[in-house]
Parts: sequence; C-alpha cells; structure tokens
Amino acid sequence: MLKLFLWLRYLRKKKIVFLSIAAVALSVSLLIVVASLFTGFINTFEQSAVETIGDIVLLPPIKFTKYRLFIERLEQTAAVEAATATLSAQGLLHLGKGNVRAVNVWGIKPGRRAKVTGFKRSLLKQKDSPGELSFEVDGFPEKIGGFVGIGVLAEPDEQTDQYDFDAVQKMFGQQVFLTTGAVTRAKPGEDKTEFSSFKRKFIPFLIADIVFTGVYLLDKEFVYLPIEKLQKRLYPSEDSPIASQIQIKLSPGTRADVAIAQIRGLWQTFVDEQLNGDPYLRRYTDIETAKQMQSRYVAELRKQMGVLLLIFGVVSFGVVVLIFCIFYMIVRLKQKDIAIIKSCGAPSRSVAFVFVGFGACVGIVGSGIGVVLGYIVIKNINAIEGWIRVIFGLKLWKSSVYMFSKIPSEVDWGSALPIVLLAIVAAAIGTLIPAIVAARTRPVEILRYE
Amino acid sequence: MYKVILAIRYLIKRRITYFAVLAVALCVFIVVVVMTVMTGLVSDFKQKNHDFVGDCVVGTKSLVGFAYYEEFVKILEKTDFIEGVSPVIKSYALISSRGSERSYGVEIMGLDPVRHSGATGFGRTLYYRKGDVAKAFEPTYDSNLPGCVLGIDLALQRDANSRYPYAVSPAEIGFSVSCFPLTAKGALAKAGLGEVNTQTFYYSDHSHSGLARVDSSLVYLLFEQAQLLCGMAGPVERANAVHIKFKPNVKLKAGREKVASLWQKFKQEKAGEKQANLLDTVTVQGWKDYRRAYIAAMEKEQTMMTVMFAFVGITTVFIVFVVFYMIISHKSKDIGILKSIGVSNADIIELFSGFAFLVGLLGSGVGLFAGWLFLLKINRIENWLFERFDFQLWDRTIYAIGDIPNQMKLGVLVVIVVSAIVACLAGALVPSWQAATSKPIETLQVSQL
Repeated sequence: MLKLFLWLRYLRKKKIVFLSIAAVALSVSLLIVVASLFTGFINTFEQSAVETIGDIVLLPPIKFTKYRLFIERLEQTAAVEAATATLSAQGLLHLGKGNVRAVNVWGIKPGRRAKVTGFKRSLLKQKDSPGELSFEVDGFPEKIGGFVGIGVLAEPDEQTDQYDFDAVQKMFGQQVFLTTGAVTRAKPGEDKTEFSSFKRKFIPFLIADIVFTGVYLLDKEFVYLPIEKLQKRLYPSEDSPIASQIQIKLSPGTRADVAIAQIRGLWQTFVDEQLNGDPYLRRYTDIETAKQMQSRYVAELRKQMGVLLLIFGVVSFGVVVLIFCIFYMIVRLKQKDIAIIKSCGAPSRSVAFVFVGFGACVGIVGSGIGVVLGYIVIKNINAIEGWIRVIFGLKLWKSSVYMFSKIPSEVDWGSALPIVLLAIVAAAIGTLIPAIVAARTRPVEILRYE
Repeated sequence: MYKVILAIRYLIKRRITYFAVLAVALCVFIVVVVMTVMTGLVSDFKQKNHDFVGDCVVGTKSLVGFAYYEEFVKILEKTDFIEGVSPVIKSYALISSRGSERSYGVEIMGLDPVRHSGATGFGRTLYYRKGDVAKAFEPTYDSNLPGCVLGIDLALQRDANSRYPYAVSPAEIGFSVSCFPLTAKGALAKAGLGEVNTQTFYYSDHSHSGLARVDSSLVYLLFEQAQLLCGMAGPVERANAVHIKFKPNVKLKAGREKVASLWQKFKQEKAGEKQANLLDTVTVQGWKDYRRAYIAAMEKEQTMMTVMFAFVGITTVFIVFVVFYMIISHKSKDIGILKSIGVSNADIIELFSGFAFLVGLLGSGVGLFAGWLFLLKINRIENWLFERFDFQLWDRTIYAIGDIPNQMKLGVLVVIVVSAIVACLAGALVPSWQAATSKPIETLQVSQL
C-alpha cells in the first residue's frame, strides 16, 4: 500500500516522469508499427500466393497429358477439396496502336479455378454474378474470350496509385492480339534440338473480363485464356489434354505435409500407370504448398524485419538511459523520504522495490500508450499515407514498388507482446542503479540535524 | 571565458553528463551506419541508372517510335556541348533458346555499341568485349553469326556471394527472337498474315549494369537488326529514343534545356512532314526524370528511415533535458552566485547552451568514431557472420547488391552531427531558461544553503 502511495505521489509530484512514459510509448509504438507493417506485408504476400495458386501446387518439369484423370483421382481423396489445371506460356499482347506488353499467359478453366483460388473475387465484371465464371463475351459466342490483368491495360495514377476503373471497363469486349509460341514435340527420328520445332502462334481474343487482384505483378503481367483453346493453338497435334501444373485446394483441417505425401503417392502411381513411368516426371516434379514456394523471399523479409527492429531497438536503448537519469534524480531528491521509510523499519529490499516497481509501472503505462498509439497508426495507415500525399505531395506507397495496392493494416500482436514485455523489463532495468542507491541510503547520515 | 571553463567543468565533474553523451553517441552511431549504408545504396543505384541512361534522353514511350531521328542526331552532333549521341530501338520480344520448350517475354534494345558506349556506360558493362566494344555483337566462337548481348541475369546465375560463374568465352547458344513489327500508324504490320518477325541471334556477351530489372529482362541487339525486327526500317526510319551524353563541363540542367530548345526548333521545322505527328509524343528528359519511377522509390525509403530516426531521436532530446534539469537543480547556488555578481540571463543561457553543445559534439564525435570503425569492418563482419552463422544482411542470390556500401559521405555526416547538436540544444533549452530566470535572492537564502 505504501509503495502504491509513493508511486502515485511521485507520478503526481514529479512531472518529469511523464517524459519517460512518453519515451517508452514512442519507442513501443514505433517498434509495433514497424513489426506490424513487415508482418502484414509477409502475411499478405503469403495469402496472395494461396489466393492465386491454391494451397498446394504440383509443378512437373515438363507439360503432361491426361490431367483430367489425375484431377479426378485427387478429388476422390479426403485431403483434396478441389483441383484445377493450368497451361502456361509467355507472350506479347498487342492492345492497340503501338501498345504492346509482355505477358504471362495462363490457360485455365475459370469455374474450377474459382473453386481452388480466390479468382472470382478479383474479376471486375463477374465477381458478383451467381453463375459459373465464363470466358464468353456477350454477342460473340463463337469468338475466343480472355481475362486480362488490369495493369496490362492501364497504369495506376501517378499521384493516387489508383486505376481508372471507368476507363478500364470500356475495354470489355475489345479485341486484342496475343503472340505466343511453343516447341512442338519432335517426331521419332527427328532432331529434338532443331529450332524449326518452335512455332509461333497468333491468338486474337476479346476481353471478357478484367482481373484486379491488388497484387501488382499479377495484375500487370497476366492474361487468362480457356485452357482448351490455348492448347489447341499451342499444341495442335496433341490429342489428349495437357497441363503444365495442377493447383490444389485442401479440405478444411487437412495438414499440408500429410496432404503433400498423399498427393506425391497419387502422382507417382499416375505417372507409372498413365505416363509410362516417365522418370523425369517422377523424379523432378515439385509438390509444394504456396507458402513453401515463397519461403525464400519470406525468410529474407523476416530477416530484414529483424535487422530493422534490432536497429530501432538499439536506438530505443536510450529509454533505459532516460529512465535511469530520471530515477537517479528522484532518488537524490527524495533521500529524506527514503531515510524516513528506512528508519521506520523498511528493509533495503523493500526500498529498492519501490523504485524498480515504479520503473516497471512506467514501462507498463508507457507500453500501454505505445500499443494504443501503434494500433491507431496501423489501423489508419492508409489514411495517414493519403494525408501525407495530400499535404506534402509525397506518395509513399506504390503498388508498383511494394506489390500490393493497399498498405497492410493489421496489428501484429505476436510481435507486439514481446515488444511490450521488453519495454517493461527495460524500464525496470533503467531503475536498477537508482534503486540500489536508494536501498543503500543510511538514515543516520541523511536525517542528521546538521 | 568563465562560460567555457564552467561548461567543461560540468562536463567532466558531473558524471550524469556521461549518460547524455552516451545516448547521443549511440544515436549518432546507429544513424551514421544506417544512413551511410542507405546513402551508399541509393547513390550507387543512381550512378548505375546514370550510366545506363546517359545524361539526357530524347524519346517516346510509344513502341511506334518517332521518325527523322537521324537528322536530329546530326544536329546534336554538330553542337559544342554534346559528347556522345546514340539512337536506340526499344521494344518487347519473345525469346526461346535452342532445345528449350519455354519462351520468355523480354525487352529488347537495339543500339550501335560504339555510339551507345560514347553516350552511356554500356561498354563498361560488357564482359568479353569490354576492350573492343565494336565487336560486342560478334560471338567469339563465330564472328559471322548475328550476336546478342544478354542482361547478365538472363545468362548467368549469381551465387550466395553475389558472384557470377564467368566462363572463358560465351557459350554457343542461339536464341530465336520474335518481335511485333508495327506500322507508323501503330497498327500491326503483317497482322492479316498472323505473322511476327523472327530472327535467330547468338549469345555474344552479357551486360552487367547492376540494375536488377535491366539485367534480368533486357536483351541488346544491333541497331539495324532490331529496327528491322520491329518494323522501324524502311523509307522513313524510326527509333524510340536518342541517348545523349554532355561534355564534362556542361551542367545537366543547362544541357537538357539546350537539347529541349533544339528539339522544339527541329519539331517546328518538321511540322509539314508526313510522319510529323509521331514527334508530338517525344519528350526531352534528364536521366533522373527518365528513371524517376525507380529512383524515387529508393529515395522515399531513405526519407521514411530518416523520419523514423527523427522520432526515435526525440528520446535523446528527453535525456539531455533530464540531465540538464538535474545539473541545473544541483547548481542553483552556482547560478545564484553568477547572477549576483552581474551575469545576465542571456549569459546563463549561453553557458548552458555551450555545455549542451559540448555534450552534442562529444557524443557525436564518439558516435562518429564508432560508426567509422564499424563501417570499416562491416563487410568483414558480414563475411564472418555468413561463414559462421550463414547470415547475410541481404541474400545476394535475391538482391543485386555486392559489398555493403561503407563510404562515409561528408554531407551526410555534417547533417547528422548538426542534428545531434541541435537535439542537445533543444533538450537543454527549457532547463537553461529556468536557470536564467531563477532569482539569486531565492537560491542564496540562508535557508536554502
């Protein structure tokens, strides 16, 4: 009770203590903001991979046939909820006068893809339509329709980083020209390395829908076409359906490692039975979760976050010095109080605890304010960035640089907790020496009449 | 004189001052290290962009390009402020290598290696033909084959130490390059035929510009060949840009303005020509504006880092404030005596400001020295960490960064030291003011002694 009374009294009488609270709050909020931004970025990055390619990707070194049969087998297992095939190629898209873009082309089945990924949510026209996704363009059922990333068609505004959706939507139904190509398999006896086997293909198509995922690279580089049509153009001599990868969504509650083992077993059986046991496909097919595929880059981001937190943490060490100075001053000025307490029988340990406890309280209050401050900043980070743009004309966040159109605004409580605990410990450490000085005070010297 | 003596005395005798010095030193140390590394990265990036672009670019974003560029190049070459001029073709292409099932979308740049090396740093980025730039597009294994220079990341893969596995000579690999030929009106040439222009080129060299995006996506071809592939050859030839290098004594802004004025004049002269409309989209930009989208991102990150350090630096101001508050409350008698013998308020403020200046200077000095020492060894420390703990500040297989930049810049150091001193002065301001306004009659009362 006495300790609490003294803490409150010192807090009320010694306004300078508020400085240490402010310093703790400032450091804690800064560290929470930095950690939350990085973690939010990493989470968004990983989530966008799952949204784009599903939970697990089966990526063989070469294209393979009879994928429908394999998907059927996959979907018969309890671990897999849905799976879809993708045929990939690269190409150049001619959009209009002098406007040519290099693009990645994905041959897909939109309906199935929507079951595996969050594809439907990213389509501007069909996202709210109740029916199954379709490449068909109204009025032109016989023509090839395709989806085009919004960034392929337009650049975000230099100042606001926003796309002009009205202008982009005017491109629905417009015809564009895709140039792509593929190496056709050499017939027995032919030289497989001959250049002549590479055939260029020209595919005009109508824009059926526009894809806006919010992930800059996906929006900027991808074009989607019906898988059968793409295959027909790229590999006209191939009778059986072919795919370059299979994207898989797992059933809820399925462990990824267990599912991967199961899928690998299925794949090897499939290769043995249907693809003549092709050793290349057996040995070099990667089966990974979407998160594993990004793991190198994510590890690098986590490392950078650690380095940045360390740098700010070291600078924040100044808070310990500040608390030391303030408490040292309090101890020096309150020697008489301390001597009276000791003369009343309080042990040195108890006197020391008054100051260490007070320091910890400063840490708790400062951290609390810091958490609230960090929470407010993170939750309003996009608005704050907008104000900075309006007031200073400085656009800090651009999707072309940081991949995503919005700044992640979720507080990383997992990082916030250790930061808060460290701040409290640091505040308590700052009071250690003053507490020892206080504990060693000799009442007989302090309370002498002279 | 007494101000200096007292300031030094307080600095030496009051041990609490050491904490203020320590806080300043710590802050300065971290800021010096981080800012030196960041400034080094930004300057290096800017320099690489400058080398890649030259001083100034007259060009259009449209892939159609613009006509009459040769005449304008001649005008530029006649001026006395320009050292090198190089017209280039820029477009996209699809390339596939022999035996590979895959094709890649890349950017292509058609250029004359000698002219382009005169206007930019292109020649220095080559490996096999560095000393003989004219032969950049002649493969060493067969000089009769049409050559292409690949961005280094298209040709080689970096190891964990950011080193490339250079071979004695380039591998004999052919690439099929397909481009869209565009008409002067921007339509697809041969669209009705469903054809694109395709030609095979052989790997003759690679270019290491140090710019990740450039090195991983750009293929250089000979100007005439690229012009043919893109449909820009013909009776009225077209190019996409003209890169310019100014003579050493010409300032960038002045040079750019001169080129812009020449371009305006040229455009007016060509107003009646058949393809004059293509000149409307042409702009004249300095290298920084031309590469602004890339440079601005790094500059912004540096600004954000500075702002964050400014926030954290507030703690240092608080520390100085507390230390001075303590010293002044303990030295109230000194202040009372000084004031009683006629020292003015301004002199008291000056005394403590001088003291704060000393704290800032000493802290900055210690921080600078520690920062210099750390930066001197930073690459060795990183190598040691990599060998022992497999830790690298940046994974060199992901980032196109060589050694960590550790060259301290005087300008940056001056700003840091001045900021630290100003922070100390700001922290000491309120306590100094309190000291100056204290009344000797109160501090020197018998009851206070």
